[in-house]
Amino acid sequence: MAGKRAEPPDPEALEREQEDERTGPVKIARHVKDDGRALIVYTRDADAPA
Amino acid sequence: MSVGEDIGRRFEELRGEEVVYAIHRQDRTFLPARDHCPLDATRPGGPATEIPLPAFEIAVFDNRFPAFESPHGAAEVVVYTDDHDGSFATLAPERAEALMWVWRHRYLELGAREDVDYVYIFENRGVEVGVTLHHPHGQIYGYPFVPPVVRRELEADARLGGCAPCMLLTRELLDGRRIVYENDSVVVYVPFAARWAYEAHVTMRQHHPSLRDCSREELRLLSCALQALARGYDALFERPFPYVMAMHQAPTVAGEELGGHVHVEFYPPLRTAEKLKYLAGSEQGAGTFISDTLPEESAAKLRGAIARAA
Repeated sequence: MAGKRAEPPDPEALEREQEDERTGPVKIARHVKDDGRALIVYTRDADAPA
Repeated sequence: MSVGEDIGRRFEELRGEEVVYAIHRQDRTFLPARDHCPLDATRPGGPATEIPLPAFEIAVFDNRFPAFESPHGAAEVVVYTDDHDGSFATLAPERAEALMWVWRHRYLELGAREDVDYVYIFENRGVEVGVTLHHPHGQIYGYPFVPPVVRRELEADARLGGCAPCMLLTRELLDGRRIVYENDSVVVYVPFAARWAYEAHVTMRQHHPSLRDCSREELRLLSCALQALARGYDALFERPFPYVMAMHQAPTVAGEELGGHVHVEFYPPLRTAEKLKYLAGSEQGAGTFISDTLPEESAAKLRGAIARAA
């Protein structure tokens, strides 16, 4: 991939399979990359109950 | 030939071990220039990366150069942060705690697959252990078989008549000389028969087969223990400390309860600030480690380094 320039990142363009999934205090966002590989982004939920 | 078609296994009869062939990995990305790191976030106008987002906290994706691939296992990359210059040791505590949940989630999801008998979470840190990308990250292999080190740990359970990590932890706590860090849920020690000069085992006090069985507080304290050790390693010789981090959990063979006790083993190749331990004649040809250091002396130095780094 070295040398290939990126289009401006557009998260909405990624295919999102599920919403509101979480593990403990962490939110899960599932995507499928252009080549079909899975990408999962995990984000801590600051509002998660302790 | 596409990726996956060239992945194969052969059984090495003399050692009784599987050997995996994934010849496409010969061409995998190798120490790219700083501004072409494939594990960075994708920034407008910058190179495309594995993560097509302008920022992220933790990302997991299928390895572009897998050693295992469905329907014969899995290979994933776990990117700890979008900060290229960080490390596991320098993650904010909240991020490190979140990483425990990510590992737990991957264990559950991959372990539920019929083609995954063992979920192996690991990190290679430093060129000394063969790292090809410096960005803070680990990996997960979903083995379609139970690998030999895990089988030997299960054999130790049978030989000792119970959970081997539980028994070894009790021995270490009674002895005390090799303990380098402990909190309410986790104990870190240089094992009695350490093979590497600064080998350390991070063991849950309670008998939990996997991260699935740990409470939220136990996961938080596990992240604290792992970061304390990683920071202590960096403080030991006042340099980034290379290591292999290996998390051992219960196998996930469908329909079988094979046992296990979640713990994390660290194998650092440095024996001094400048000298590496090589696996040479005795280690490779006879399977017997020859160590230049005593675990008790290493533990004292590591304990001091962890205290300095706290």
